[in-house]
Amino acid sequence: MNRAVIAAYARSPFTPAKKGELASVRPDDLAAQVIAALVKNSKVNPADLEDLLLGCAFPEGEQGLNVARMISFIAGLPISLGAATINRYCGSSMTAVHVAAGAIAMGAGDAFICAGVESMTRVPMMGFNPMPNPDLVKTNPAAYMPMGDTAENVAARWKLSRLEQEQFAVESHRRAAAARAAGKFKDEIIAITTKKGVVVSEDGCIRADTTLEGLAALKPAFSATGVVTAGTSSPLTDGAAALLVCSESYAKKHKLNMIAAIKSVAVAGCAPDIMGIGPVGATKKALARAGITVAQLDVTELNEAFSSQGLVSMREIGLDAAKVNIDGGAIALGHPLGATGARIVGKVASLLVREKGKYALATQCIGGGQGIATVLEAI
Amino acid sequence: MSPIRKVAVIGAGVMGAGIAAHVANAGVPVVLLDIVAKDNSNRSAIAEGAVEKMLKQEPAPFMSKGAAKLITTGNTEDHLDLVKDCDWIIEAVLERLDVKHALYAKLEGLRKADTVVSSNTSTIPLAELTKGASEDFAKHFMIAHFFNPPRYMRLLEVVKSDKTLATAYENVCRFADIKLGKSIVPCNDRPGFIGNRLGVYWLQTAVLEAMAAGITVEEADAIIGRPMGIPKTGVFGLIDLVGLDLMPHINVSMTALLAKDDSYHASAKPMPLISKMIAEGYTGRKGKGGFYRLNRDKGKAKEAIDLMTGEYRPQLRPQIDAIDESGRSLKKLLSHDSKHGAYAAKVMGLTLAYASSLVGEVSDQADAIDEAMRLGYNWKFGPFELIDQLGSAWLIEKLQKAGVAVPKFLSLASSKTIYRVENGQRQVLGLDGAYHDVKRADGVLMLEDIKRRSEPVLKNGSAAVWDIGDGVACLEFTSKMNSLDNDSMALISKAVKLVQKQFKALVIYNEGSHFSAGANLGLAAFAANIAAWGEIENLVSGGQQTYMALRYAPFPVVAAPSGMALGGGCEIVLASDAVQAHAETYIGLVEVGVGLIPGWGGCKEMLRRWTTLGNLPKGPMPAVIKAFEIISVATVAKSAAEAKELLFLKPDDGITMNRYRLLADAKAKALSLVDGYKPPEPPTFTLPGPTGRAALDMAVQGFYRAGKATDYDLVVLGKLAEVLSGGDADVIKPLTENEVLKLEFDHFMTLVRDDRTLARITTMLETGKPLRN
Repeated sequence: MNRAVIAAYARSPFTPAKKGELASVRPDDLAAQVIAALVKNSKVNPADLEDLLLGCAFPEGEQGLNVARMISFIAGLPISLGAATINRYCGSSMTAVHVAAGAIAMGAGDAFICAGVESMTRVPMMGFNPMPNPDLVKTNPAAYMPMGDTAENVAARWKLSRLEQEQFAVESHRRAAAARAAGKFKDEIIAITTKKGVVVSEDGCIRADTTLEGLAALKPAFSATGVVTAGTSSPLTDGAAALLVCSESYAKKHKLNMIAAIKSVAVAGCAPDIMGIGPVGATKKALARAGITVAQLDVTELNEAFSSQGLVSMREIGLDAAKVNIDGGAIALGHPLGATGARIVGKVASLLVREKGKYALATQCIGGGQGIATVLEAI
Repeated sequence: MSPIRKVAVIGAGVMGAGIAAHVANAGVPVVLLDIVAKDNSNRSAIAEGAVEKMLKQEPAPFMSKGAAKLITTGNTEDHLDLVKDCDWIIEAVLERLDVKHALYAKLEGLRKADTVVSSNTSTIPLAELTKGASEDFAKHFMIAHFFNPPRYMRLLEVVKSDKTLATAYENVCRFADIKLGKSIVPCNDRPGFIGNRLGVYWLQTAVLEAMAAGITVEEADAIIGRPMGIPKTGVFGLIDLVGLDLMPHINVSMTALLAKDDSYHASAKPMPLISKMIAEGYTGRKGKGGFYRLNRDKGKAKEAIDLMTGEYRPQLRPQIDAIDESGRSLKKLLSHDSKHGAYAAKVMGLTLAYASSLVGEVSDQADAIDEAMRLGYNWKFGPFELIDQLGSAWLIEKLQKAGVAVPKFLSLASSKTIYRVENGQRQVLGLDGAYHDVKRADGVLMLEDIKRRSEPVLKNGSAAVWDIGDGVACLEFTSKMNSLDNDSMALISKAVKLVQKQFKALVIYNEGSHFSAGANLGLAAFAANIAAWGEIENLVSGGQQTYMALRYAPFPVVAAPSGMALGGGCEIVLASDAVQAHAETYIGLVEVGVGLIPGWGGCKEMLRRWTTLGNLPKGPMPAVIKAFEIISVATVAKSAAEAKELLFLKPDDGITMNRYRLLADAKAKALSLVDGYKPPEPPTFTLPGPTGRAALDMAVQGFYRAGKATDYDLVVLGKLAEVLSGGDADVIKPLTENEVLKLEFDHFMTLVRDDRTLARITTMLETGKPLRN
């Protein structure tokens, strides 16, 4: 079987929706700039690309019309490659990686762009026309449950205190701020040029000055009696991320930079009202398929949709907090829904190299009740 | 003289910044400069900070966020040459002659040849200001004195010298009238002009007399307030509002400049209590508090100062027989045999006498002094209108008994009134002892004047129709708060029939403080209490039919709101073909606050507007969501400009800045629509149906869990969601206008039968505040 490898990773800066520097940038332009730079920097021959697989959680408006194809045009990629937009909400661009790996395994192509984008400024969560099935709303109201409520449910069921969640958030900001200060994001960030010619090269969501006292003063965001605040939730974010996923043989032949190999993948459903524990089931399956145990993981990227689900997922999987999100997580960096999967796979691959480890895990929860996981192995 | 297209304001204090904001409200670019900020790397920090502060201030100096973008900020050292292309330069710097003279000297070399420079001085005479200035500068110089806050106070006192060019003066007056909406009151070049001369005299007299007579601040404000048509802030509340330090500040100029025998000096006595309060930071609402304060150490307890001891104590609710026993008679109040009656008589006797002494001094016209006090202090009646209420002879006798000299002008009126109506024309007594017409500015049309000289063409207890000339009829609401009831609807129906036969167009307009507070809630509560559901059904369906008749009438209908247009008052605006709104119109659908939903086409109209004019993403939901967002929280636009953003007004609806010009503008708009007028085509509504309801319900549930919606909000907003999403509608089957109206009707009726709605209505009627049940 032909092994799939990650041969390049890049992302845009992540900036807060509405008030951030990328608010004025169309998501298709945003993703195209990242992808064009990724292709150029990776030295892959664009003519060899089989497909652009692009994740997006609300593919409508400026993100609509099979936006992946439009992005391939804007990025100046050859018309010979295909393009598909993939939606698995927050798991969209990780699914793109899985689809590419599957295609490579069956000999259906050698080089894929696996990307994701979300402008939460320009296309709101729920989209412009939220039209839930009224019968399903009655029979299974949790199916459409807002994410904040699921975070409260997780906190309640696993008896998490507000303080624990805030400590988790402070640590996320601390790690992200330290990583930024040490220049650890430099290699992954592609500077974005806005229509007005402004060059955006820095993340905008990280708050280096976050304190427990500051977070304690916030009001609950979703439930008057709740324990989840804006400070323990990932912020609405604009951003894009992209990976070059190739067959190992192709990468070797063309002397591409192989960062990590994909060892195993999995998705798993869970109850939608506690969707935040999605990583637990998915990770267990992926680890079993990889034939390794949690203890063998050297680095993990676990998407921090909320402090509560991050904490519970880590606990239930048995992860060592010191090895999870070592450059900060989504609470600090931001969570542009469709882009996050590509970011954490790319990030954990590069961390595997930096930390000289053997196995890595990227996993995340997904609205509606799912988890997704990818296990990587050092080359 | 070129029209004014760009303005500069120098001095970004409270007044200068507020004036600049208001120029921007008129859509005119404005430069705002202040001195270089000390201890700040940003040299323009003062002017920039003033604009930022105003964006957060309430009541808002800006009519829309966009207006702020018309202001260019800077400092007077680096950016004074920005005034070079301005057509009017407004000086609003410190009240110090040397500072003003230094600035004028710099402006001499910078201003365009015909640019006017005006000062916003409140006390310094023009003659002093132009001392040492060039002849050409003096020709282009005048005083234009705004009142605080400049957006809301309609008075503009203007003073010119014999050197001021008439064209320059008229250019500024016309701009201030039409673009800024100010009522222009020409004043003689005397210290304090009208507003500060008489107004500060009145305030200081009221304070001194209260201290002398042992009247508490609450009592003084209750007496020298509402019963006299003076705002409820009265005397001490008003001083807190404008700042305690303002009066000593004004007194410095006034006492230096006024003749020794001027009564003003008697009012400007040193007041140790006020000096002490200012020294301790109790400068009023801008400081730690004033005569009133909120004691934060005691859980925001309301306190007032004891004028005798100077100590704060809990605020009292005074019981004043003099007020209760006088009804609406000012004469009874001033004659009341009590210390309160005596206080009222003393303060108002002196104030009205002083006002009379100022005719020929600050202005030759008593009506100008009345206008200044009405628009500069929000008095309902000017001092001479109050004298007419009392009777001049009565007042003279009262003054003589008290040993107060009777001014010449008041003696002239001893056997007559100051105002009279002759052949439908209002006239005012002059210093020559003869009556002269009270003139309106050119182009002003007031219903008040029309009513004085004609009979209504239709009339009942709640509304009337007037012939305002050129084939245009005017529908006027006449009920309390201009609320709407079955009589209002009956008269509108009659008007629709009459206008078809006898007129070309209809304007809906009135001269109340507020266009309409909406449906008469008192009647609704009464009917609900006795379960007279049939009556309520008639009112709702009758209202719907009446508004539809207006909408599809074969003639143009123009609504001309000013002040509040709420609920049913908003819906009649929405039903009109076009709107000419006063800039200070506060429009909104506020029914949810009383447990109801808009039932006279408000839901339907907001859907129609957001669907056709909303510039929203495609699909059946965006317009529904937008209408829901606006109606579900009872959004009220804080200006006509904001009403356009919310689509209570359409993009091509007109806005009139000057309240006095509203009717003339509305009439012109109506006449412009007459030729080739065709009623609108009935719209259809593509609505999402149950899926939309489900989506809105989910959003409301979120607000409920977050503690932002109450139990009964869930019910009311559920009904609103049901109507706006179209009930059982489906995107493949558009609804007619009548089908949407039927949904409004059905769900309105369900809510009005709910006790919790009745509780909300009752609370609103009793307390004026919404019940959050």
